[in-house]
Parts: sequence; structure tokens; C-alpha cells
Amino acid sequence: MSGSQPTEVAGEAEADAPAATEAGEESFTGTSLPRVEDHRILTGEAEYIHDVTPEDCLHMALVRSMHAHAEIVDIETSEAETHPECELVMTAEDLKAEYNPMPTGVGRIATGASGEAVELPEWSLADEKVRFVGEPVALVVASNRYAAEDVADLVTVEYDTLEAVADGMAAREDEVVVHESIGTNVVDHERIEFGDLQTAFEDADHVVSGEYSWGRISGVPLETAGVVATYDDETDSFDVDCNIQLHTLVDDTIYETLGYDADDVRVNVPADVGGSYGTKIAIHRYCCLAAMASQQLERPVKFEEDRIENLQGGDVHSSDREYEIQMAVDDDGTMRGLDVWFVDDFGAFPRYPINQVLKPLSVVTNSYRIDHVGYEYDLVLTNKTSQTAYRGFGVDPHIYALEMIVDEAAREIGMDPTEFRRRNLITPDQMPYTLPSKNVYDSGDYPATLDRIQEIVADERDGGLLDPDVVAEKREEGKYRGVQPSVIIEPGVSGSDWTDRQRSNREALDSRSREEVDELPEHLRAELREDGTVRAYLATDSSGQGHQTLVSQLLADELEILPSEIEVDYLDSVDAPTEYGSAASRMAVMLSGATVGLAERLVENAEELAADGWGVSIDDVAYRDGGVERIDTGETLSLADLAELDADRDERLTVASYDYDHPALEREEFDDALRRKLPVYPTAAFGANAPIVEVDVETGEVEILKFHTVRDCGTMLNPTIVEGQAHGGIAQGVGAALLEEFGYEEDGQPQAITLFDYLLPSIETVPEIEMEHTETPSPYTETGAKGVGEGGMIDAPASIATSINAALEPLSVDEPADRIPVAPDHLLSKIREAEE
Amino acid sequence: MRTDSTGEYDAPERREITVTVNGEAVTAAVEPRVKLSDFLRSECGLTGVRVGCEHGVCGACTVQQDGRAIKSCLSYAVQADGAEVETVEGLADEDGSLHPIQEAFHETHALQCGFCTSGFVVATKELLEENPDPSREEIERGLADNICRCTGYQNIYEAVERAAAKMRE
Repeated sequence: MSGSQPTEVAGEAEADAPAATEAGEESFTGTSLPRVEDHRILTGEAEYIHDVTPEDCLHMALVRSMHAHAEIVDIETSEAETHPECELVMTAEDLKAEYNPMPTGVGRIATGASGEAVELPEWSLADEKVRFVGEPVALVVASNRYAAEDVADLVTVEYDTLEAVADGMAAREDEVVVHESIGTNVVDHERIEFGDLQTAFEDADHVVSGEYSWGRISGVPLETAGVVATYDDETDSFDVDCNIQLHTLVDDTIYETLGYDADDVRVNVPADVGGSYGTKIAIHRYCCLAAMASQQLERPVKFEEDRIENLQGGDVHSSDREYEIQMAVDDDGTMRGLDVWFVDDFGAFPRYPINQVLKPLSVVTNSYRIDHVGYEYDLVLTNKTSQTAYRGFGVDPHIYALEMIVDEAAREIGMDPTEFRRRNLITPDQMPYTLPSKNVYDSGDYPATLDRIQEIVADERDGGLLDPDVVAEKREEGKYRGVQPSVIIEPGVSGSDWTDRQRSNREALDSRSREEVDELPEHLRAELREDGTVRAYLATDSSGQGHQTLVSQLLADELEILPSEIEVDYLDSVDAPTEYGSAASRMAVMLSGATVGLAERLVENAEELAADGWGVSIDDVAYRDGGVERIDTGETLSLADLAELDADRDERLTVASYDYDHPALEREEFDDALRRKLPVYPTAAFGANAPIVEVDVETGEVEILKFHTVRDCGTMLNPTIVEGQAHGGIAQGVGAALLEEFGYEEDGQPQAITLFDYLLPSIETVPEIEMEHTETPSPYTETGAKGVGEGGMIDAPASIATSINAALEPLSVDEPADRIPVAPDHLLSKIREAEE
Repeated sequence: MRTDSTGEYDAPERREITVTVNGEAVTAAVEPRVKLSDFLRSECGLTGVRVGCEHGVCGACTVQQDGRAIKSCLSYAVQADGAEVETVEGLADEDGSLHPIQEAFHETHALQCGFCTSGFVVATKELLEENPDPSREEIERGLADNICRCTGYQNIYEAVERAAAKMRE
């Protein structure tokens, strides 16, 4: 495998002391340096947002709708207001007088039935009408949360209930319209064709089609949303401490709603956030409400979302799709064309995740070469809570549906499904490979990866879990085993420019000039301190990824010091520039690029400072071992000396920042995608999974006996962290494939509002994961790293689904895994169908 | 918490309780409805007790009460009157050195966002007190009441095995 170095990682999770123990001796980057974040977490000292409670803090609770769709006739607050603990009650009427609607509502994109733009504000509290169960109707504030809930109970809301629509396909009929002023539930639609789709489908020997469902799931981090907002009357500004994700990018959702400038609303995220996986991008409603309440009361106001609020009406569900997909294929196994149609149910208000419908274009044909592609979606609104981002950002359902139709096509032409896949894989000599949809895969050997996973499967067939004798014996017990690997791509490092495609004039994009493309860089800053340490500042937030460790490792290598001599802190939204931040498998690439660039700048500055100090030319000094040496005399200045030397200067050289440009920005390979605002993801991590599944045909239950995976995310900056990301992503993929779903009754009542109903994978349901890695560096990034945060969640559901198909092949069950999650009742009915 | 009340309002009744928390007796007047998890976090300042679901599924709030691991969101503070409670804050030595379980979680990367970690560490402590050398199956059963959303549990097995080995030494 050219450029690849297979390294066994599985079973070697030993976090022994890194290879380098002395500064400058060997590299820390690439080693499994144990995390600097851990100590405070393990001792309980880490301060998450729920732990932040200023002394004079008041607490907010929300009155929420119990109906999916209803007119608000009256809100009676007087009884609540007479409660002695009540400090404040606010309804939409109150906040409309002083504040703005949340800026990311449907108003920006909606077009009415006759094509005109429609303004449709989304207020932080329901205005005149409720559109989903759990929609906040009123806020109350009291001295503590217990009292606040007492007060909330005294608010009486009178409703006139309306018929609701809670199914994406049904919503397209517009029998019940969620927003009357638009007149339709289909608020966005686009069809894009690449290549000559019509000819491909007309000429192909076969056209196969399938329908697949992806149930509504989400990240469900263990820490719910939280905010402590403090309004300062003297400066007429706000401090909003909260656990929002991308606080330097999406702070506009808070300050615009409050009606203030960006500089007047300081959004700050603690160093520790208890998981997000994309979901917390959309918690701005709470930030706005707490800030408004704080301004009314001139006291800090805290809100901690509880779990039921989070699950039923927390604006944090994710993709909810119905697919109709067609593949044109020849008898010899050539994939000729692909045509994808789907509807995505966004709930009552579409927000950022409108890009979730487009991101799959970045990997539209997955690992296969298919030259002619159609892609079409309807984005519909229903009486459900709004969608947000979730790990994979809409790629996971696309890959699942695609791998389902690949299985179906293999059956149609009578070819072994692995052989069919192999024949169509993009090959190393085609790299970098430009997809029909114009994104570019940077590097990788997909056939070799498929070969390796097949070797692993062959081992399981030879005396292992898939040994023919064992398989036959198990079938006697009604247990069917199987596996079906495929090679799956994880698009990494999203660009930012394309993400407003839906709000652009799409017809004009074909003639858009390349010069109009504007990408957000990643910002990092650092200072050398007089105690000889270095403090770096991230302009993003973290939620478990180990960014502080990553920056320490890289900076230690570049500055030739120890990671323990580096502290990594965070900037708030005012101190940081507007930038993208931690999402879309970006940080391994963007943060490592920024760290290397920043270190180069610091070294140059240190040399300049030392040369000035000695009164010699910069050529007479050299940075070495964490200090600057004067070449002729051998004198040295340590980082501490340099910081001291610099302390009195007007323009400080020991304080520096660096902005790492997005890797696609200067590469002509991406010109087409950038110009046309098609999804740009310049790294393609990839992997092949072999989950050995066992289906109990009596109960419809699926057990994964072992999960084999072979993965490649380019250069691994910290193999243990990389491995942890893969483990976690795969576990979430197991949950998606088999357990999790936000089910709804037809009347819009949510059925999964506790963790008894929304089933998170436990230590009992996540199988043993056996992992291998190869390293094919990205030619496009500073360190060779590729994005790695979302892979497992993108590839595991599809692999589990194809493996269930394979397990039930002997029973001729018709597409058993045509619905995610593959729940026992659904699978059992498919098995029964086949028996009849 | 505010206790002054005006008008006709009946302030919630409070009961005085004494709980030994991490070896120190804490006496406080609490409303009977206050959950043990909230008492530990607000009254005792032990915010290492994490609250993830408040209905007994996620296990982030796991503490030991009289040596048994319990979910502190499922019991009331008044129920702990007279009991000994140990939270994650009670594990490390006074000099700051980590308990072998904490060390093992660190060394094996058995935590990411860390919100579940307090609960896992305490649950592991109970598991290893009862069974100093658990098999993988026994670890699975012992930690089945705690949810981790980040790690996929793989390194948690490693952590428990490593901690067990350290503690047997």
C-alpha cells in the first residue's frame, strides 16, 4: 500500500509514557500522550456549565406546550406571579416588545406556495400558536429550580388544539400546514444532476430501486444544555456562559435575538462540555431566554435543561429521512448511475442543519466510481421539535441508503456483493479523485482496505465466529449469522463558504467567480510567559475531543519544550474572531495546521527579539531547545528571558496569533466545488467494517458478536485519541442501527421522552471492537492528518445493516434492514413475510 | 436557597439532616423533596456528582451510600440522614495523588467528555470491592447501569482491568 504504514492499534491501548520524555529529544506528536484534560475530570474538579452558580443567581424554568399543534387562546400568569418565590414571568408578548425573533428561523429561506419569499419569525417563546410538544410558551424565574418549577406549574395556558402532522411524507401533502403564512410544509427543494444521468439509466442493463427509512435520532449527550446569563446595566452588555457548540460562529443567534452588537454579548464556554456531537449548536433559545430574564431582573439567571425537556422539545433531534433511490447497473457489475431522492423532516422550524441535506454530496457515490448522479431532496416541516446537527451531519443516512441499494443491485445481477463492490471501487491511481459532485478525495487505497477486511472475515470463517460448522449449528437454534463489509468514506474539514447555499440564488452559482469564495480560517494565539511557560488560546470550544492535549503535543514539538510547560485556554466570542470551530471533522487538520503556523511565528519572533537584545543580526541567532542561542558566543535566552525582555515593548513579540487557512482555499482541484457552493471536504478518511451480526429469527433481535474495523485517517497525531473517536463513533452507530429512535404518535405526541424509551447503547449492547489502522497522509494538510471525528457514526450503521442483509440471505428475507433502527418488531415482520 | 416568605405562602417544610460526606459530617435543613444529588451538589459543593437524566438510567450521579453504589438522583437527601456517602471527590489522596481507579482511567483513555466519569469511577470502585479480579462478563454486568456516550466502553474495560491489577498489588 503506497504511502501507508499498517500499524496494529487494537489491544495496544497502553498509554505508557510517550516516546519522548525530554524536550526536543523525540516527537510528542504521533504518540499516545495521555490527556491533559483528565486529572480535573477524574477528581470531580472540572467545572461544567451546570456547576457554575454565581452567588446571587436566580433560576429559570419553562412552561412548555403539551400539544403538538394548537392555537394559544390565553396565558394566565397572575397566580404564578403571586407566588412569593416568583421573580419574573415572561411570555411571547413580553419579549416581542423588546427583543427580536431568533435569526435562523424559516424566514431566511422559505418561499411561499407561489414562490415568493416569506418572512416567518421564530420567537424564543411560542407566539400565538404552538407547533410541537415541548415548545416553550412562558419562562419563569425563582430563587431555585425547585421553586421555579412550582411557579411554572401555576401558569395556565388555554389552547385550541389543531390537527397535527408528524410524518415527513404525509406533510408533503399539505393537508395540515405547520406555518399558514407559507402555505406549504415543503420549505426547500433542490434537484442537482451531474453527468448524463438520463443516458446512463436508459443504457444500463438494469435499474434497481429501493425505499429506505432513517428514523429520527440524535447525539443525546449526557450533559444537557445549560446557561448562566448576566446582564450588566452599567455597560449595557451581557455575559452568557453556556455550553453552546461553535460559540465563535453561532453567537449571532444570541446577540441578534437580544438586539445587541456582537461585542456586547460575551459568549463563553467552559473548558469542559459534557458531550455535544453537533447537537449543542442549536441551544441558543435557552441562552436568549436566560439573557432576557437577566436583563429584566438585573441578576444572573441560570437555566439547566432537564432530560425530559431535552428529549421532547430541546430543539436537538436530528436527521429523519425517507429515501427513494435508484441505481443503474450493467450485467458485468458496472455501476452506471445513481439517483437519490429523499425527504428530510425538520420538525417545526428549520435551522442550521439545512446543510445536512447537502453534505452527502461530498461523498455522494461513497467509495465507488459512478459518473452520473442525480440528487434531490424535499425539506419538510412537521409538528415535531426542530432538528440540529449530529455527528455525520446527514452523511450517515445517505451512506446507509446507498449501501442498501448496492446490496439490492448485487442481488439483481446475481453477483457476490463484495465482488460487486470491489469492481467499482475508486483505485489509488485515480487519486486525487474528483467526484461527479465536485468534491475531491485526497488519498487512499480502498481496494487494499477491502482486501484486509476480507482477510479478517476469512479468519472468522476459519474456526472463528463464522466457521461453517458454528454457523450451521446456530441456524438450528434459529440464530443467523452474517457479515457484509464495504469501504466507507468520512468527509473531513468542511469549508464554510458553501454552507449558505440554500440561502443563495442557486441559478446564479454556475456563473459565480472563484474570487468570491471566502473561507473562515482557524485562529490560534499564544504568549510566552515570564515563568517560562507558554499559554495558548483556542478560538473554539471542546466537548471531549482532547484539543488541549493536541495543541500541547504539537506546540511542544515545534517549540522544543515539554507539553507540561504549555497551558491551553479558551477565548470567548468577543475576544475570538468569528471562525468556524469544532465541527465537521475539522480540528485534527485545522488545529494542527494552526499550531504549526503559530509556532513558526513564535520562533521567528523569539529570534528577532533575541537578536535585538544582543544587538546582532537575526542571522547570528538560532532557536534551539526552547530558547534562542547566540551562535558566536553560545549565550542563550530562555523563553522566560525572552518574555521578560519583551515585557516593556509596545508591540510584543512574545504574543502572537496565527490563522490557518482552509486547505481547499488555494487548491485549484476544488475550484468547481467552491465556486458553485457544493460541499467542500478536502480530506477523505476511510474505513471498512466487518460487524459479525447474529439475528434471532424468533425474536427479531440482533446481536453484534464482534465489530472488526480497518481505518485510515491519514497521519495520526495522537493514536489513542484517534482510536477513542472511532470507538465512540462506532458505539453511536450501533445505537443508531439497532436501538435509538425518537418515535412519534400520529397526533405528534413524542414517544421517547426518557432514557427508558430512547435507548442509548450500554456496555452490554456495544460489542467488542477490534481495530486496525493504516496511515495514508493527506497531501492537502499541514500535518498529513485527515478529519476523524465522525467516521464511526457514518460507517457503522450502513455496515451493520448490510451485515443483517447478509445474515438473512438464506431465508430470502426481502431487504430486512430497510429501516433504521432495525428494531426487533420490524425485523420480525420482515422475517414473517418471507416465511409466508 | 431563599427561606423568607411573605403573605399566605407556606414555605416548604424543612428537616434537619446530618450526612457524613467523604468523611465529614454535614448538617443542613433541607426540603424533603430535595434529591440527594442536588443536596450533594448545592449544599455540599460536590459538583463532581453529575446529573444526566434524573430518572436513574445514565448513572452519572452514582455515589456510594454506606458502601453501596446508588444513583443519587433517585433518592432524597432526607433518606441519607445518618448515612455515610462517598463521592468521586473522596477518592484521591489529600496530597492530590489519584486513586488507582482514577489513574487507570487516565492511562487507558477511558474518558472523553468526562460527564459520565464520576459515576463510572464510583461504580468501578464498588465492583472491585466486591470482586477484585472481574472477568469481562463481570465488568459488563457491574457497569451495565452507567451510560457513556463517548468512549464506546472499549477503554473502560481496559481501565477496570488495569485498576484491578493495581489494587491487587
